[in-house]
Amino acid sequence: MQLLFYSFFKSLVGKDVVVELKNDLSICGTLHSVDQYLNIKLTDISVTDPEKYPHMLSVKNCFIRGSVVRYVQLPADEVDTQLLQDAARKEAMQQKQ
Amino acid sequence: MLRFPESSLDEDCTLEEEDDGLIQEEDEIDQFNDDTFGAGAIDDDWQEEHKRLAQLDERDGLGLGNNIPGKKCTWLVFSDVEDRGGEGDLAESLARLILEADPAIAGVGAAERPGPSPSLPPGPSPSSLLSYQQQQHLLRRGTAPMAQMNSHSIWENSMGFGPVSVTPGLVTHMEDSPLMSIIKEVGLPKRPPQSRNDEGRDLSERVPPPRSSSPVIGSPPVRAVPIGTPPKQPMSHALNHQIHHPTAVHVRAPVQHRYPPPFPERVSPNTLLNIANSPLCRGPFPPGVGPVLSQIQRAQLLNSQVAGFPHGGPAPPLLPGGGFRPFFGGPPPPLGHRMGLPPPHGPPNHTPPIRHNTTHLHPQHRRMLTQRMQNRGGDRGRTGLDRRSRDPYSNLMTQKEKEWVTKIQMMQLQSTDPYLDDYYYQNYYEKMEKRQERERDSSKKEHTTKLITPQVAKVEHTYRPVQFAGSLGKLTVSSVNNPRKMIDAVVTTRTDDEEKREKQVWNKRRQILYTVEKMYSLLLEVQDFEKRFVQVPEEDREALLEQHKTNTLQLCNSLREWDDRVSDEQCVMIMSVRKGKRLISRLLSFLPSPQAAAIVMAISRNLPALAKKDKQDQVLCWLVEPISAVIQSLSSSALTDLLQELQGSEGQLATVLHNKFGVTLLYLILSEGERMQSSDPNCQLMDDNRWTELVFSVTRELLSVPASSLSSPLFTPPNLLSLFSRYVDRQRLELLQDKLQ
Repeated sequence: MQLLFYSFFKSLVGKDVVVELKNDLSICGTLHSVDQYLNIKLTDISVTDPEKYPHMLSVKNCFIRGSVVRYVQLPADEVDTQLLQDAARKEAMQQKQ
Repeated sequence: MLRFPESSLDEDCTLEEEDDGLIQEEDEIDQFNDDTFGAGAIDDDWQEEHKRLAQLDERDGLGLGNNIPGKKCTWLVFSDVEDRGGEGDLAESLARLILEADPAIAGVGAAERPGPSPSLPPGPSPSSLLSYQQQQHLLRRGTAPMAQMNSHSIWENSMGFGPVSVTPGLVTHMEDSPLMSIIKEVGLPKRPPQSRNDEGRDLSERVPPPRSSSPVIGSPPVRAVPIGTPPKQPMSHALNHQIHHPTAVHVRAPVQHRYPPPFPERVSPNTLLNIANSPLCRGPFPPGVGPVLSQIQRAQLLNSQVAGFPHGGPAPPLLPGGGFRPFFGGPPPPLGHRMGLPPPHGPPNHTPPIRHNTTHLHPQHRRMLTQRMQNRGGDRGRTGLDRRSRDPYSNLMTQKEKEWVTKIQMMQLQSTDPYLDDYYYQNYYEKMEKRQERERDSSKKEHTTKLITPQVAKVEHTYRPVQFAGSLGKLTVSSVNNPRKMIDAVVTTRTDDEEKREKQVWNKRRQILYTVEKMYSLLLEVQDFEKRFVQVPEEDREALLEQHKTNTLQLCNSLREWDDRVSDEQCVMIMSVRKGKRLISRLLSFLPSPQAAAIVMAISRNLPALAKKDKQDQVLCWLVEPISAVIQSLSSSALTDLLQELQGSEGQLATVLHNKFGVTLLYLILSEGERMQSSDPNCQLMDDNRWTELVFSVTRELLSVPASSLSSPLFTPPNLLSLFSRYVDRQRLELLQDKLQ
């Protein structure tokens, strides 16, 4: 099972992230939850870039389907890159077996 | 309702066939005729007409074999033309129409019936093209004055449903045969009228079945509880039904047939609720009864309840026996799900906590989250409530339903080996725990909460592809579990002798990276050894130990040459890549002591080269920590050797001092020597002069080197000065002190 990034995002629950979607919409919010498909639930969202998406003004929480995400911008100090590399290596080893 | 005799439908009707068919299946035609012409149809006229026409037929000796396309439409015409309102008049007028219109027949008609209606034109006038609608209109009106009715055009039009341009010439030569055939058709059905009564029974078969009276749109309600329905709630079965199958729109109609409408319109939610509940208490409707509340209505109902609460109202008298909604009495959240709204008698300003759907958060993580939410929840308490009380779409799902859905999602995430599947998360929080333990005072004695992940028993699924007994071959089915090789790719190493320099370099780099990765996988295995050792049962422990030893050995060998000495070249190669440096830094802690020492030696020996290669990355300092650990385990002679290596050839020390890592390393070594000397009086450091000499040269270098080229170390050990004080005079000591700062 591809749970590497699920595990990774789980450790970021509660942190502030910016999710950029494939339709160029960027949403800033607190990561509320994530699942194995990397669907993301954000709370307290705000559209980061110029508010040319006014229809989002009233939205406080949102659910984003994982397949429409282009980027997720993370706080750098919350990420342990070494650990992530190790996790990736382990996953690669697992898949080989 | 048009029922054609079978034959006429299938082929282009030839009149003869039609005739035969018609003759044979007169019964059907009869009824059909009854349908089309109605009870009021006057038979007599038809029979008379038929006779007349039949005579005409004999007289003219018409060939009836003409194939007129689209004949089958005539039936259609007849039924349309008839227009059930017209009845007898219509039939009459039609017949008249035909007769009058056709010149041939008109003549006959005139002969036989001398008095056609004066309103009708006496003879064929130039053909006027009338639209079908007009013709219909005329026909209906019966005796309306009409222009020359091109008989042919009538029937032609009927097929075309519009004005038809037919050349008169065409008409004249064609008009007989179609007309005849039509008349034949018309006439024939009336031939055995008396047999009609016998077909009364058959009528029911012919008539299309009565319309199905089941007005249920969509699939019928499923009686049995399908797999995966949400848990039964202590509410009405009917409501449950609705909840389970929100897609099936059960029209109220059937209910109304049998029962009085259970819920009249425009009833307040309170009374609605009372009504809903009273049947509950009495006894439910039979299971077939449709639901009484739509989803939205239910939500609205609940909203109105909820809206009452934030104002601190009393518990509603609407809820009988606590059975209606598990809204306030939800089961305790399982597995640390933070689901479930707080009871309404909590602080009224408190927004419900955001429920995190992640199973099993580390307790610290959870604490962090709750803190966060408390910080934020206070600000938004009021406005949130107001918003909620007006939200028409809340409460569409009950708490249990939400939990049920989440449980399904989360079930998929339960893993048999959490350490493997959830590697990052587990380790991240372990590290955090360690960090916190370090930061905490030992006197505080607080126990850091540990994360205990529940483990699901591993179920072995061996996939066996589909096989049929006795079949010769195997099915080539490729699926997710059994992917088929698309391409048989064979790896061939390039034996090209003439390779460009760049390619060589790249290949070498790739080779290095590959080696590094291989070593990393070994390293990770070694790292995990301890953990696995604890978990694995007794029998397997020996095997695990063996494997661990092999791994370690492999690791060592990868850095060695054939004669068991540490390969400098290999080390340098690995260290030329950033990943390699990381690898070495982690590796050092796992290697046996002599091995580790050898590597450190190799590093210090080759420090200038390494420093040069590290110019871009500047990550040599990662090595400081493990190396200091190694140094502290060195013997005095080894330490001296190390210092010697570091100084190496002429001029090396200068380079060393220029590099941050080098300086740090040097200081570490010196500091360790000093520690040895001061702590252990029997230290053999001073036994030979090497140490002293080396320290002297270091001091010389330190003094001579300009302050700018001396890079500052990562940290300065405090006992350096005391070391130097042994060897140099005060003046120099002060200078050194300045340098060290």
